[in-house]
Amino acid sequence: MTIPHPLRVGALVLVATSFYTYVGQMVPQKEVLPPQETVIRADLTTDDMVKVGQEIMNGKGLCFTCHTLGKTEGPFRFPDLSGVDARAMMRKPGYTDVDYFAETIYDPNAFIVPGFNPGMPVINKPPIGLTDQEILCVIAYLQTLGGTPTVTLQTSHRYYTPPGAPGAAPPGAPGAAPAPAAASTTQPAVPGAPPPPAAPRGSPPPPAPAPAKGTR
Amino acid sequence: MSNGVMNGAMNRKLLFILGPVTGLLMFAAVIFVASQLMNREYREPYRVPTAAVDATPREAGVTAERADAETKAKAKPYAEAEYRTFPVVGSRVAIWAVAELHLLFAAFVLAVPIFAFIIEVIGYKTGDMRYDRLAYEFTKLLSTSFSLTATFGAALTFMLIILYPKFTNYLMSVFSPTFLPYIGLFFFEAFFLYTYYYGWGKFHPLVHLGLGLGLNLVGTGIMMIANAWVTFMTSPAGISDQGAVLSVRDAIYNYTWMPINIHRFIANIAFGGSVAGAYAAFKFLQAETDEERAHYDWMGYIGNFVAISAFLPLPFAGYYLAKEIYAFSQTLGLTMMGGAFSWLFIVQAVLIGNLFLAANYYLWLGMGRVEGVQPLQKFIKYLLAGVTLCFMIWATPRSIIATVSELRAMGGGTHPILGYFGVMSAKNTAVNILILTTFMSFLLYRRTGKVATVSWAKMGHATQLAIFAAAAIIVISLGVYGYFVEATVRIGLSVPQVSSVLFAMVAITAIDVFLFRGAMKTGEVRWGRMPAVSQYVLIFIAVTFTWLMGLMGYIRSGLRQHWHVYGVVRDTSVDAFTPTIGFATRVVSVTVLLFFLLIGFVFWLTSLHDKPDFLVQTKPPVPKGSGHVSPGFTGEAPGEHRRTA
Repeated sequence: MTIPHPLRVGALVLVATSFYTYVGQMVPQKEVLPPQETVIRADLTTDDMVKVGQEIMNGKGLCFTCHTLGKTEGPFRFPDLSGVDARAMMRKPGYTDVDYFAETIYDPNAFIVPGFNPGMPVINKPPIGLTDQEILCVIAYLQTLGGTPTVTLQTSHRYYTPPGAPGAAPPGAPGAAPAPAAASTTQPAVPGAPPPPAAPRGSPPPPAPAPAKGTR
Repeated sequence: MSNGVMNGAMNRKLLFILGPVTGLLMFAAVIFVASQLMNREYREPYRVPTAAVDATPREAGVTAERADAETKAKAKPYAEAEYRTFPVVGSRVAIWAVAELHLLFAAFVLAVPIFAFIIEVIGYKTGDMRYDRLAYEFTKLLSTSFSLTATFGAALTFMLIILYPKFTNYLMSVFSPTFLPYIGLFFFEAFFLYTYYYGWGKFHPLVHLGLGLGLNLVGTGIMMIANAWVTFMTSPAGISDQGAVLSVRDAIYNYTWMPINIHRFIANIAFGGSVAGAYAAFKFLQAETDEERAHYDWMGYIGNFVAISAFLPLPFAGYYLAKEIYAFSQTLGLTMMGGAFSWLFIVQAVLIGNLFLAANYYLWLGMGRVEGVQPLQKFIKYLLAGVTLCFMIWATPRSIIATVSELRAMGGGTHPILGYFGVMSAKNTAVNILILTTFMSFLLYRRTGKVATVSWAKMGHATQLAIFAAAAIIVISLGVYGYFVEATVRIGLSVPQVSSVLFAMVAITAIDVFLFRGAMKTGEVRWGRMPAVSQYVLIFIAVTFTWLMGLMGYIRSGLRQHWHVYGVVRDTSVDAFTPTIGFATRVVSVTVLLFFLLIGFVFWLTSLHDKPDFLVQTKPPVPKGSGHVSPGFTGEAPGEHRRTA
């Protein structure tokens, strides 16, 4: 019996499509969920901040999409972060490690590490959009890579002054930084936590807003 | 009355009621679907009328409850929905499938006029009416496809408004100035398309060519406007940090707009050529005469030629697009090439490798049509080896899925030897050599049955060979060099690799044109002398192109992950996650099957064009000199009136 051509053509379409579907099942299968929102408690210790910072770098911050940690050889698209704190302290004259980390996060094109191309996005704006408190936690974790973490949620730097610190805008005023949340989805708030201490004097105000997106 | 006549009459009656019955069934199906959707709304349960039962405390309570519900219902404020759900498959899959079907038909409708126009120009310039007929044959596929494109476009628009109202509203707020021009162009598209199709042979050839050119310009304009909306979602521009529109011009001219315009323009031609080739293959397989077989063999060859010619420069357009994605956001670029989507490029490599293999195989089979082909056939085995090797390198993943013991034996997720083939240096080299090899297959096919007679023939052949060898050496050397330099240098190496391949293709073709001008023919091309398997290869190429378009569409769209507009409008629906590759490929496959079901309908409908009228089949021929003769009785199908100029 001869099978009619339309049937053969139909079978070919079905077999080819099935084959490609099969190839699609053979590669690693992973569902990527949207990043979980982390609400930072007001009373986090530096050690807690290190843990939260590490979680953020692995998740919402997307840091390890580009950076590596502990890679010793081979091509580097972006700097490896091993021992980064030791380098951060000496990278720019007059900058502390915190200032340097803050600059790389808030204004990443201000300084490009020699040998690399610009490419780091602004982290405190969407699509990544870390909050000032989350960024402090990231800095705390980065300090552990070659140094000792010193930041707290009350640490000021060139781009952020915590509320209540001298020189900070009054709550609700334009440009005022949001207060750290009193509760956390991952770590419950401790009732009666002490108020944050004052930030060092002379912290500069936050930088001016960035120009419109994507204007070429 | 004989039984045959009775049966015939009965059958005609049955056929007569077939149309209304189908219509009624479709109507019932629409009512059923609508009622199913309506039933999803909450309804008050049926209660016995109050007068029929005793006024008990429970009854009073129910009445009070109902009155309370009515009061609340009247006071309910209007709230704009952010999302609505689609039954069974969910909103995302529903939009995904409809958008993909719309895009596939749109790609076909935009592509076919491009090469139909070019073929018509060739026919006009050479005076060879076969080209004119071929161009018309391609154009016949457009009419139904255009209706289906518009239908799926309308479905997509309504579904976006229904299922994603907030996001759609945002896109409308940004792009509202582009909508009226889009509608205007769509109207002109309809005007040009139907005038071009129905006016075949009715106007002066130059007027008709003008219509074809207008059709292509308008179609390209429509595509570019729609591309602005789509690319804005990936690389938004011209807006404030809060998403307010600052410049519609910048929103249109965003980072990925022009690369997508170029990429889609070329990809549409490749896809359209392959589907038109599949139509020719389908007709070839059903052909009953040698003349028909010859015609559809030629048509299939032209369709495949168009598809592969457009396909060869497509990876370069892909590089440009990827470069602009990286320029817009390194994170987005790395998500695409090194993150969640990187494995999709292994699936893509399998598809493109299959396309190259199939295209080469078809060309090698095609050599059999030409007499005196033997001297060139000896090269096929080397070409096959080259294509296979490049395919294998391109499809090699960087890291391998392995068991714990296998990973230990390898010393990590990367194979100690194969791992070297899984990096960009090897893959870029492989794809460039693949393109060069396929180009050589084309060249060999082109010169089958011909011998160059120009005085500089020997020198010409030597120059061509030298250019080919130089391009291959440059590509391979830079590929090897890429292993020893930093990423920043290595990324730049792809530019000279691509440039040398492009230069080789252009230069060798240019020399070939002059080299074989006035060439001596050593054998005739016997169109139609092709094995049936060659036609199945053409259909396989069309399926693979369609599937590839579905997959790449998913990568382009899915790249945004949990953003409707990247970094501006976040997806907060239940579908905000990025599905597994396996799930994505299943959706792509179902959509591809639906497309082929519908395009099969288009093929069938177009085939009716060539069938003789019903009366011709049933009535005896009209004796000569009996007066009026309808077009159907001449054996010429309606619409088959040819241009005589």
